[in-house]
Amino acid sequence: MSHDSAWYEIRLQGQLHPRWASWFDGLTVTSAADGTTVIHGRVADQAALHGVLQKLRDLGLPLLSVARIDSDPAKHSTPGELS
Amino acid sequence: MHSPLLESKLYLPRNRQALVPRARLAERLRRRDGIRLTLVSAPAGFGKTTLLSALVTERPGRTAWVSLEESDRHATTFWTYLLTALERAAPGVGEGGLGLLQSGQAPIESVLAVVLNELSVLPDDVDLVLDDYHLADGPEIQPGMAFLVEHLPPQVQLLISTRADPALPLARLRARGELVEIRAADLRFTADEATAYLNDLTGLDLDAADIATLEGRTEGWIAALRLAALSLQGRDDATAFIEGFAGDDRYVVDYLLDEVLDRQADDVRRFLLETSIADRLTGPLCDAVTGRSGGKAMLETLERQNLFLVPLDDHRRWYRYHHLFGDVLRTHLREERGDLGELHRRASRWYEEAGETVAAVRHALAAGDADHAADLVELAVPALQRERLEPTLRRWLDDIPNDVVQKRPVLAVGFIGALMSCNEFDGVGQRIDDVERVLAGPADVLAVVDRGELAKLPGAIETYRAALALAGGDPAATIEHAGRAIDRAVDGDHLTSAAASALAGLANWAAGDLEAAHAGYTTAARDLQRIGYIADVLGCSITLADIETTQGRLRQAQTTFERALDLGEGLRGTADMYVGLSRLALERNDLDAASNYLRRAEDLGPAAGLPQNPYRWRVAMARLREAEGDLVGARDQLDAAERVYVGDFAPNVRPIAAHRARVMVAQGHLSAARDWVRQQGLSANDGLSYLREFEHMTLARILLAERARGEAIRLLERLQAAAWAGGRIGTVIEILVLRALAQDDVAPLERSLTLAEPEGYVRVFIAEGPPMTSMLASLAQRRPDWPYPRRLLDAVRRPTSQAPKPTGEQVLVEPLSDRELDVLRLLAGELDGPSIARQLVVSLNTVRTHTKHIYAKLGVTNRRSAVRRAHQLNLLTR
Repeated sequence: MSHDSAWYEIRLQGQLHPRWASWFDGLTVTSAADGTTVIHGRVADQAALHGVLQKLRDLGLPLLSVARIDSDPAKHSTPGELS
Repeated sequence: MHSPLLESKLYLPRNRQALVPRARLAERLRRRDGIRLTLVSAPAGFGKTTLLSALVTERPGRTAWVSLEESDRHATTFWTYLLTALERAAPGVGEGGLGLLQSGQAPIESVLAVVLNELSVLPDDVDLVLDDYHLADGPEIQPGMAFLVEHLPPQVQLLISTRADPALPLARLRARGELVEIRAADLRFTADEATAYLNDLTGLDLDAADIATLEGRTEGWIAALRLAALSLQGRDDATAFIEGFAGDDRYVVDYLLDEVLDRQADDVRRFLLETSIADRLTGPLCDAVTGRSGGKAMLETLERQNLFLVPLDDHRRWYRYHHLFGDVLRTHLREERGDLGELHRRASRWYEEAGETVAAVRHALAAGDADHAADLVELAVPALQRERLEPTLRRWLDDIPNDVVQKRPVLAVGFIGALMSCNEFDGVGQRIDDVERVLAGPADVLAVVDRGELAKLPGAIETYRAALALAGGDPAATIEHAGRAIDRAVDGDHLTSAAASALAGLANWAAGDLEAAHAGYTTAARDLQRIGYIADVLGCSITLADIETTQGRLRQAQTTFERALDLGEGLRGTADMYVGLSRLALERNDLDAASNYLRRAEDLGPAAGLPQNPYRWRVAMARLREAEGDLVGARDQLDAAERVYVGDFAPNVRPIAAHRARVMVAQGHLSAARDWVRQQGLSANDGLSYLREFEHMTLARILLAERARGEAIRLLERLQAAAWAGGRIGTVIEILVLRALAQDDVAPLERSLTLAEPEGYVRVFIAEGPPMTSMLASLAQRRPDWPYPRRLLDAVRRPTSQAPKPTGEQVLVEPLSDRELDVLRLLAGELDGPSIARQLVVSLNTVRTHTKHIYAKLGVTNRRSAVRRAHQLNLLTR
């Protein structure tokens, strides 16, 4: 378990408007073609990750997956790779 | 400073609109028997609050409701609201626990034990509702909540609404069948319920296919259906709209809120977005934030139109947005405006003018205005300290950036005080060094709003250094820093000189220098009185009288208590003065007066007592019981005292366990007393200090009872030398009594009597029973000119309780039955409902029925008042 910052990818059921990026402290909000949304970016530590998850809970959006990913943002920001 | 208790959080939300009937849920929620916890766990917008408020409004019983918020993660805040809600629901139930809680010293289990004790005999059922529990759930409140759930009496049901399952032993409750669970799948509107909502209540007249489509797309999510209903109102093309909605993948709330906002008039839309930055809404605040008028009327319109507003009172004054909609509105607002600083600044200004510092600081911080927030906090420091709200101050330390604090010496010193009063000493020394460095540097870099406080800093800093030294167990450094603080205190800064004098007094007391301690407390009391800190003056009076009693100055101690009582009526600490007077009356062997003082202390109620009063009262009662010859009763009181024990800064020189060991000796339970000696690691050869004097005196008594006379005498001789050197004449008087008995020698008794006579001591002699009586008798014979020994002998012969007390039964319209009197006597003790039931070999329900009749006949509503009334009517004398 790392206590340092890391890149995470969180997948949700439903399409979230990009305006929500600010709500998630600057994480990237991307809609995928399959009707899901991916939120990804660097979170400071585990506490920050749980903060993001709590905000998702507060919106009532079903959570599909949470994964730690490589640190290369470009690799994960194209919608094509997400579906 | 605005009171930190927000009324709106205790407000049971009324469902003003008609509701969809939910018979299938009502059926499952109806059960009360055997259910400890009703858990409504589901995401936002599933109608959890509505369901619970409808349930508790419908069913009989009392309701204690708390709407929780983020700030309730802090244990003290959380429990204050919970106990206040219980107190409102059933007066008398929460106040004792609240008093203990406010001391900040009692473990939460002790606080809750007091409350559960009251709840367990309550005739009525109580629903305790914690709404939005996920906001408060966390490590700070979990231990107490687990204890509460585990010990909840049958007449109380806990109801929790939450977005995340609480960290409570749910599996165990489930296995025992004590849990009712309502989850998202249960809360979703079924097709029938959606029809009832959309057509019957909202009047939309949709056909079954449209409703099925809506229900499918929203999956019965009530918040989404509510938004859909708002979007559909006044639309001709309902079916087209529904099909468009169903064919879209967007987050339903986003989609629907866009629709709803698009359909609002511009001013309504703007109002909704701009005011979404506020946690609570009221007309004038909205006017300030929007920069326009008509906020109050707008709020009422929004409420009528069912636009996301939740009322927070019955007067249409305060509202909040439904949490989910508030979040969505704020996100829209941020997208449109970007920077929300100006709106928060306006809200901050409004709260500042309204005198609500807490909210003003929150909005200033949200505006990114840390400097202004720091200004507000700095100005609030004196009031926060006066009102003992240091924990509030302490929390701001985490929110205001360090560099902002560092250039503000007044604020930095305020935070140092807050940290220390929250028992956080780590890094405080460094903070004090930092402030001193800043103060020594160039004056033009300093930021100071409260100029008057700046001059006081050198004195205050030394005071905190003294407190830090005391916490670190260094009395010499404490006294040194305190002396410097007094030197540096500016004219008129009575608070600093009082605090420093009290710290010096405390350090001297712990070091056994009673005269210096007395001088310190005398100065502290004088200065505290000058600045109107009366509760603290009364606190000092207890210590002063304690010291005077130890010095053998009973009359001076009496004067100290009486003067303190002259300061005013009904003040916090008044009850403690009566407890002190009771102890002095007991020394004079005036048992009736001792008993009356304790009753007066109790009649004043918990609000008149300092945090230590509950345990001190019970210790005094134990000593009275012992004097009356009721040793079992004395032990019970001491056990009870231990349960409500709360420490303070003062050294605990008379531990309850030592009192109990003395009672054990009187009972002849010598092996139990010996166990205590072992546990404390006491021995007759220990080095002696004032702090353990009472325990060593107790050991001497045990040795005497064990007939180890030689050892006892040697210990007593050493104790006498130490007590004499320390000017502790009160102790010397008792030592000489024990030596007279140990040596079977009247000479030490004569010396003791000589010391004791001017102060009117009686109890210390006659408590020793027949051996002392015969010594006194022979002394009286040998010295007929000396009236004191004869007076003591008279006191032995006089029955402890004089004329039979009149019974008060006849003043009751309807007298209590014998069985009710049995229950009443047990209510006066410490047993909880189930234990009382066991003692009387009846069911708890029977006890509750008796309690109900007792309360009705005595005209009271709770246990404490019942016992008080019973004392007044002398119903408890057997």
